[in-house]
Amino acid sequence: MRILEASGLVKAYGRQRALDGFTLEVAAGEIVGLVGRNGAGKTTFVEVVAGLVRPEAGRVLVCGADALARTRAARALTGFSPQETALYPAATVAEHLRLFGALAGLRGPELRRAVDDIAGRMDLADVGGKPAGLLSGGQRKRTQAATALIAERPLLLLDEPTVGADPATRARLLAVVTDRAAAGAAVVYTTHYLPELAELRATVAVAQAGRIIARGTLGELSLDHVNALLVAEEAGEEDGDGAAAA
Amino acid sequence: MALPLPDAGVRMTALVRHDTTLMVREPGPVISRLVQPLVLITLMHPLYAAALAAQGPQAGTVQVVTGMLVMFSLLALSVVGTGIMTERAWRTWDRLRATPARAAELLGAKAVPAFALLVVLQTELIGFGAVAFGLRVPDPALLALAVASWALALLGIGTALGAMLRSQSELNVAYDIGGLLFSALGGALIPSGELPGWARVIAPSSPGYWAMGALRSALRGQAAATLRDAAVLAGVGAAACALAAWRMSRNSSRSRLL
Repeated sequence: MRILEASGLVKAYGRQRALDGFTLEVAAGEIVGLVGRNGAGKTTFVEVVAGLVRPEAGRVLVCGADALARTRAARALTGFSPQETALYPAATVAEHLRLFGALAGLRGPELRRAVDDIAGRMDLADVGGKPAGLLSGGQRKRTQAATALIAERPLLLLDEPTVGADPATRARLLAVVTDRAAAGAAVVYTTHYLPELAELRATVAVAQAGRIIARGTLGELSLDHVNALLVAEEAGEEDGDGAAAA
Repeated sequence: MALPLPDAGVRMTALVRHDTTLMVREPGPVISRLVQPLVLITLMHPLYAAALAAQGPQAGTVQVVTGMLVMFSLLALSVVGTGIMTERAWRTWDRLRATPARAAELLGAKAVPAFALLVVLQTELIGFGAVAFGLRVPDPALLALAVASWALALLGIGTALGAMLRSQSELNVAYDIGGLLFSALGGALIPSGELPGWARVIAPSSPGYWAMGALRSALRGQAAATLRDAAVLAGVGAAACALAAWRMSRNSSRSRLL
């Protein structure tokens, strides 16, 4: 069953085309590792699916519903963790979890259980009463991810969730993501750390210049091949820069 | 697999609790707005009482209380707009926008504690005027209407500024200059009848003018004039809220974020 179907997405910022025919499908229980250099369109794609950015062209279906026309309905089906940490410095970890849990539709005992569960799984139980402004970098990362993972959603959008995270934080997060996928969630996971994709047993989609240029399992593509694609892309850009300069 | 949309009421309750918590955790601006006008009213009451003695024993008290009320509630707008601006600076606004909550719910939740603050501020000053200087309130219901309509107008203006402007410094300029200008034009510092001719002509363009009118009329027990001015204030507030909701519901791009 396909949870996410995005096709032909186009989005430009001025003259720069961040998405140029971006197409990606993710099935239930599948983790897609979205890789590519900075500026390849990964974050713009995630923001389009999250309903934060409206594309100029293309289509996004979440569980078969048109996410661009029925944005709120799609948001109710999606857990989203943006690339940059976005927390309220004066609010505690527990308050963050309760807020985003309630906004996801959890209430009463169900909400309390979800807060306790995700706080335990992300090793946040001991800092539940601590304001986000006083957390360590790893605790902030885990708190942000926990707000996206607190409710079980059909679609998870995790934009570079482990950047700057320590190994323990990374391991906790990968374990929860793996479990959510095993429970049937479709996961889009952007990263620059390719070994994470092996740990997640993710399929890989390589983005370049606003579109997907390769897609397959790690068995089909292999980390070396993905690395080679990214390096070739970098070399091509440098050649292009040189040619342009010349 | 599909989850039902959560009730708007549940979301609003969670958001109001959250926004109230944030306001309570950073009480400095609120305390400042509540204390400063008390000091000014106390110090300036003798001056206004003497200057307006010819207009009756209550005239000076009404002027200093309503004038300080209008000026400091305009300055308290910063609490409303800054709440939105800091959400944008912390990038938490996008986190909220990515939830099923409507833009109107997000703004409405910010408005509830701010509305309470504005009502508390006005009630405090009128109560202080009554206790300390014998300010008479002939019709509390009429005065409550004036207070509520002014709070609504302030909320709308503050929210619209927070939504439209791009940085805290722009917001500060708008609040400082706009607050003083609207206060002065509205007759909060000098009775509007004593303003220069050109200022009297443009005074109705200031929401402060209608606030002064509504509050003074309510304190004189003049129902028709209070209702008229309160209606103008409610209209200003509704138009500004609609503008803010429209602006915040538009899909933003990273290039336009702070």
